[in-house]
Parts: sequence; C-alpha cells; structure tokens
Amino acid sequence: MNLEIKEMNGGYTAILNGRLDTPAAVKVQQDMAPLLENADKEIILDCTNLEYISSSGLRLFLTLRKETASKGGKVIIEHINDDIKKVFMMTGFFNLFEIR
Amino acid sequence: MKLASHIVQEDVLLQRLLTLPNKIETIPQLNEFIDGVCEEVGIDMTITMSLNLAMEEAVVNVMSYAYPNGVGDVHIEAIATKKILIFTITDSGIPFDPTAKEEVDTSLSVEERPIGGLGIHLVRQIMDCVSYEYVDGKNILTLEKNISAINQ
Repeated sequence: MNLEIKEMNGGYTAILNGRLDTPAAVKVQQDMAPLLENADKEIILDCTNLEYISSSGLRLFLTLRKETASKGGKVIIEHINDDIKKVFMMTGFFNLFEIR
Repeated sequence: MKLASHIVQEDVLLQRLLTLPNKIETIPQLNEFIDGVCEEVGIDMTITMSLNLAMEEAVVNVMSYAYPNGVGDVHIEAIATKKILIFTITDSGIPFDPTAKEEVDTSLSVEERPIGGLGIHLVRQIMDCVSYEYVDGKNILTLEKNISAINQ
C-alpha cells in the first residue's frame, strides 16, 4: 500500500495504491499528515488503484473529511471500485463524501 | 474440535485452523487463510472480499482488546458445509463482548459521525449471524454466512 500526494491547481490529489487494511492504515495515517494540514483546500482522493479498504482506512477518510468540514476545504473521492462502493453503502459513506 | 450444534460431521466439506499472535501485522496471513478457504469452497471474488473484511474487523478487534497486558494467541477456525460457512474466533484474554457494542447511526452528518464503531458494524452487515459466548475462560466469537444461495 502506498499514498502519493501531488499538489496541483491550488489543491491536492492523493493517489492510493493497493490494499488499505489495518496494518497499512497505520502507515498511511502518517503519510496523510500533509493533507490534514491543507484541509482548507480541495483534496481529491484518487482510488483508481485502491483494491480494498477496512474500517481503519475508512476512519482515515472520515478524519480528513471532518478536518475539511471545520477548515472550509473539500474532499472528493474518485474512481472507487464496485467492492469498495459496497463498503461505502454499508457504512453510509455516500452521504458524507462527494464521490465521482 | 467441537462442531457447532446445527451441523453434523458428514456435511463438513472443510475444516481449518489458523493461530495468530495478537499482532496487527499478521493480518495478511488471515487474508491468505480466508482466500484459501473461500477458493476451496467455491465462493466468488466479491463475497470473498466481504468475508475478508468481516474477518479482518472481528480479528483486529480481538487483537486490540483481548490482551491489554501483553501477548496472547487468537485462534481462527473455519468450517464449511454446502449451506453454511462458520468462522469461530477464540482467545484466552479478558472477557469482551464485541456484539454488545451499540449500532452505528449511518445517517448522521459529517460533524456528528463518530470516528469509531465501523468495524463491528461491517461484521454485522456482512455476516448472517454473529454470536458471542464466554466459556471456560475463553472468548468465543462465531460468525456465520449462509452460502447455499451463492454456492450451487
């Protein structure tokens, strides 16, 4: 699992690659720090290559979402696969994020 | 090993056991174990992914709470018949009933949504039956998935 962050057009895009399971979430939590620091901007989570997510990964998404809600930024989740869509349905995450 | 009361030995297609220490880093071994069980029973990729998710959540929960003072083992048993897949997670740690946790309200707004509680919620959503008992100093968490409809 890895997270690559790119700054573009005044916002940020984070590209997620691999399986975001519980052990991976421990590492990604540290890698995500620059996104939390820029929670007043638009942040795109590119999930094209995200294969799997468990609740520890969902918690990271939600933490970022809460931070942007309080600082006036925005989180957009792009290209989640059908399996992850199901996980978003089960947890009500479709109501919390802009998903495209 | 004791079989669940509602299945008989003749119907058992598969019975496997995995023992892990209470270390989160061993979760990939659990994923391999679940993939192997699902492949042998003939369960499709999508259901295999959701079973992996439910089991990861349940086992991580046990690993995180069962042994507050150190190390201990977590035993994961899988039993399958044509109709049902049963996972039993057993530990010898402190009594802890994850099923006693309150249901997450998935309709809450961003500000109101608590960060935690999603793990056991996912377990309940994915599995058909989740039960807990504390017997002879052991926590026993049983997760059942009806596979008769998906496995014909």
